[in-house]
Amino acid sequence: MPTMLRDLEDKRLERRRFIASLAAASAATLLTNGPRELLAENEPTIHPPARADACILLWMAGGMAAPETFDPKRYLPFEIGLPVEQVYSTFPAIDTVVDPIKISQGFEGIAKVMDRATLIRSHVQPDLGSILHSRHQYHWHTGYVQHQTVAAPHLGAWIAKVLGPRNPVIPPFINIGQQIEGNGESEELKAFTTGGFFGSEFGPFNLPFPEDAAQAVRPPKGMDSSRFAERYRKFRQLVQNGPNAEHVSDYHQESMLRAFENANRLLSSRDREAFDLSLEPQTSFDTYNTGRFGRGCLAARRLVEAGARFVEVTTEYIPFIHWDTHENGHTTLEKLKAEVDRPIAQLILDLDQRGLLDRTLVVIASEFSRDMMIEGVPGSTAQDQSRAATDKLSEMKHYGLHRHFTGGSSVVLFGGGTKRGFLYGETAAERPCIAIKNPVTISDLHATIFHAMGMSPKSVFDIENRPFYATQDGKGTPVAELFA
Amino acid sequence: MKRLLARLGTLSLWLLCTTALHAKYAHGKPIDFAHDVVPILNRHCVACHGGKEAKGGFSMNTRELVLEAEVVDLKQPEHSRLLQLILSSDPESQMPPKEVERLSPADVSVLQQWVEAGLPWESGYSFAGRAYEPPLAPRRPALPPVVDGRDNPVDRILDAYLVEQHQTRPTPIDDQQFLRRVYLDVVGILPPPERVTAFVAEPASDKRSKLIDELLNNREGYATHWLTFWNDLLRNAYSGTGFIDGGRKQMTQWLYHALYTNLSYDEFVRQIVVASNNSEGFIKGIKWRGTVNASQMQEIQFAQNVSQVFLGINMKCASCHDSFIDRWTLKETYGLAAAYSQQPLEIHRCDKAQGTQAVAAWIFPELGRIDPEAPQPARMKQIASLMTHPQNGRLTRTLVNRLWHRLFGRGIVHPVDAMHTEPWSVDLLDYLAVYLADQSYDIKQVLRLILNSAAYQSHAIASTSDPETGTFVFGGPIARRLTAEQFVDAVRSITGVWPQPDLGMFQRDGRDQHGQLRDVLLAISETPEQLTSVSAEDLLVQWGTRPIRAALAGLDPLQAQLGRPMREQVVTSRPTQLTTLQAINLSNGEELAELLRQGAGRLAAQFSTSIPTATPPTTQDGISAPPKTPSGIVDHICLGLLTRLPTEDERSSFSISVDESAAVTEIEDLLWTLLMLPEFQIIR
Repeated sequence: MPTMLRDLEDKRLERRRFIASLAAASAATLLTNGPRELLAENEPTIHPPARADACILLWMAGGMAAPETFDPKRYLPFEIGLPVEQVYSTFPAIDTVVDPIKISQGFEGIAKVMDRATLIRSHVQPDLGSILHSRHQYHWHTGYVQHQTVAAPHLGAWIAKVLGPRNPVIPPFINIGQQIEGNGESEELKAFTTGGFFGSEFGPFNLPFPEDAAQAVRPPKGMDSSRFAERYRKFRQLVQNGPNAEHVSDYHQESMLRAFENANRLLSSRDREAFDLSLEPQTSFDTYNTGRFGRGCLAARRLVEAGARFVEVTTEYIPFIHWDTHENGHTTLEKLKAEVDRPIAQLILDLDQRGLLDRTLVVIASEFSRDMMIEGVPGSTAQDQSRAATDKLSEMKHYGLHRHFTGGSSVVLFGGGTKRGFLYGETAAERPCIAIKNPVTISDLHATIFHAMGMSPKSVFDIENRPFYATQDGKGTPVAELFA
Repeated sequence: MKRLLARLGTLSLWLLCTTALHAKYAHGKPIDFAHDVVPILNRHCVACHGGKEAKGGFSMNTRELVLEAEVVDLKQPEHSRLLQLILSSDPESQMPPKEVERLSPADVSVLQQWVEAGLPWESGYSFAGRAYEPPLAPRRPALPPVVDGRDNPVDRILDAYLVEQHQTRPTPIDDQQFLRRVYLDVVGILPPPERVTAFVAEPASDKRSKLIDELLNNREGYATHWLTFWNDLLRNAYSGTGFIDGGRKQMTQWLYHALYTNLSYDEFVRQIVVASNNSEGFIKGIKWRGTVNASQMQEIQFAQNVSQVFLGINMKCASCHDSFIDRWTLKETYGLAAAYSQQPLEIHRCDKAQGTQAVAAWIFPELGRIDPEAPQPARMKQIASLMTHPQNGRLTRTLVNRLWHRLFGRGIVHPVDAMHTEPWSVDLLDYLAVYLADQSYDIKQVLRLILNSAAYQSHAIASTSDPETGTFVFGGPIARRLTAEQFVDAVRSITGVWPQPDLGMFQRDGRDQHGQLRDVLLAISETPEQLTSVSAEDLLVQWGTRPIRAALAGLDPLQAQLGRPMREQVVTSRPTQLTTLQAINLSNGEELAELLRQGAGRLAAQFSTSIPTATPPTTQDGISAPPKTPSGIVDHICLGLLTRLPTEDERSSFSISVDESAAVTEIEDLLWTLLMLPEFQIIR
């Protein structure tokens, strides 16, 4: 679209959204007892024009070490007696299709799609004095440091609430790959995997096992669709003919029936085929099928194609598993990289090939980085978490980045109007490898994501009579340089 | 609050295009008070002539005040003094005064049009902000005369109120509806099918008040049901965030015991504030690992939570800065926090140290003060006695208002944590508060009084809009949604499928989590000290076949889906609406589906052993004892879940086969269908 026309279209969209947001606010005022969108007198929140319609967050749960992935540093191979302080990376750097950008061995697939990426090497998190994965994950996902006096909503819930579903039958916030029950930190995970004060309408639609996603939108096990439909038909009939039919105009009853209608719409819609990975052509399925995360990426692509708004796919947070390397870091990452590299690259290729990448923002992120030596940031009071602490390498389990580092981590953005083949920010070459150029905080990163999605970082709701903003205190600022 | 409501009001009013606002047209363009006029007045005038300010004796808080001041002439607008002053260039008399920004020509023109249009005003709008200042002292209202023999004090007050408000009296509910409601409200479960039949058949005229007594005397049922309410308020979870490193403490044993023995409310509060080892969980708050925002220090949590739960004050705003929405200040929050603090507490404004130390102080000085020099335990005793001071009507009002909210779907003051809001009936609130104190703070006495009222025993009003919003006039109880616990208990009661007790429920883990059933056994034991050394295995045996009610189980996915909170924050009301995701989960979620499968199997096995008979014997009231026949199952389940017999239409919709395996499927579908009905999920 020519620039002028595009601008005009953007303005029109902006206005339409502005009106929609007013209408939504009014509907909220009139119809729900949930938080109300707060509008300063004559100063409604102005949302920027949307660059992306959908967002996929690829979550590297447990602390993805930047020097082992997107920000390779000095590499030394394993050698008995090697002083650990000399080791920065346990993988060599490899070339990518973008000339100056090098990433880490094991990401050969992603290296081929770096020409579609904006790589941020200067993402920073606060130390928080005690490095607790769940606490930093909470901070990253809600934009607020735990604990808050109100239940803070997940990033996806904010997007679901403010932008709404793209396709009315597909839940706007879908969370793939995290099993919550049975996890050693299940309560901690629940604390941020939530719609928070927006309520469960905007909470995550959880698909812990992507291969079972179809089950989540099918009749319960052992029930065929005709019985399922008949059950719902009977339910409707009973509501209509029951002795309480006079309550049909009642607000509570009406809102309850509406919820069932929405649910039934999804459960009987053709769009639910997007959840069914068995419908994917075999070759494509095989490309993605490196494991649960890979299948999650495939599900995310299918769901975004069908109209999902926000999808998170996680490598799954389990204490001391996956990216949470407290020992054996190198060996663990060899396997993990093999699991994530191919599906991420394929996801980008598929979206691009389908013309969806321009309107889909894909984000690779993690709660913090890791370092061989430093816990937190220099000067941190955080406890050393390495389970393989040593001065000199003597066993393979010593070889890896086992400490939580909050001074500089990497984030990769694809699509959604971000630049292609672009590098932003830098960390020091020597320890401490803190961000030395263009640091990007969680607030600013969220503001950037919201900006791409067409949502103001100052979006604000009234909760318990206080304003609560999409980014902390409304202060997040999008990083303008990242956008094309 | 008012300011905020006014803002929201302006917005929705604008969208609704209320014609009243556009009653007159001037220069072809309608004048919109909320959007055109209010911002101008806010910017230029109300700082001196609004709220509590009335410079020169002129307040423009309401349209009436503006008219009374004779500053506008509606017949000859151009003669309006208000307009003359804003147009004047006389430095002595011009408005706004000379040192202040003048109105732009466009603004002047809007005000001219406004006056010409007849000074349109949004009904009820005031620049005064919060005009209502709630009294602190208890007040004993005079009871209106008894009308039509309705002598319950609640009805005497409400009957007079309804007349005054030109509201018709809500119609009384029948025995079945009463039975359902009172069971759910007092013990949290549905009346068993056989009880429905018996109660309806019972001829005694005082059967309802007898039932109320019976349920209130059901100590375990009462304690288990109200445990949910207090767990939410006191954020008592059996497991969860914050337990790591001993950062949080359960108070289940103390709380269950307090409810089981119906501990008087003043003593209840005293024991929470002057805490023992068993009751300190609430004031201790949650110690989060690592650095936290100053407003999340445990001392500040104390100030926030104690004031919210016991006094209906929101000090979360005033934890960072002086509140914008009510009268509470940062200093007052820190004063209360300092009373609890073991060490000197520095005031932080928006997380920045202010260099001043907080001085322990009580928030209602009219009741007395805290000695900041006294040691911490003595200060806690002082807080406890100030909190339960006979002149502290805020404590009693806050509690009775919460009880009313639970029983009627909306507080007398609403929202329930904003006790500075004007109640819709001052007399009702004040009467109930005084009644609580008069009855030696016996909560069950207040419940007994309310449950026996005709108001409680009347039909819920059907409302076409969200009763949480807008102006409220009482016209009867409001429909309420079953809590997660009530929903789950209902399914389990009718099917007889209860969770199996496991050892974890009888012992604390390394983080002081779980072991809640041990707490219950200790709480209800006459000799708890003898149980303290009993092993988890033996306690499990002692528990026996008692059902594990949902309130006593951990937070499972089904309950979480239905709105049971994590209890990281104080929760004083549950979500009132079913959401789409919840509806999906109820439609195909594995948890409920599995429960229904097991339940249907159990029910089918129970009934299939008997020989079917034609029609069930019917009593004169139309209620029958369900025979043990497949056809009787429909009656039985319907009675159990909806507290009524099925209609003919319903009976014919669900035919249950004699064949057991076919019957399982049919019963499963019957259960699901009835459980999903708004009639089931909503308490009317």
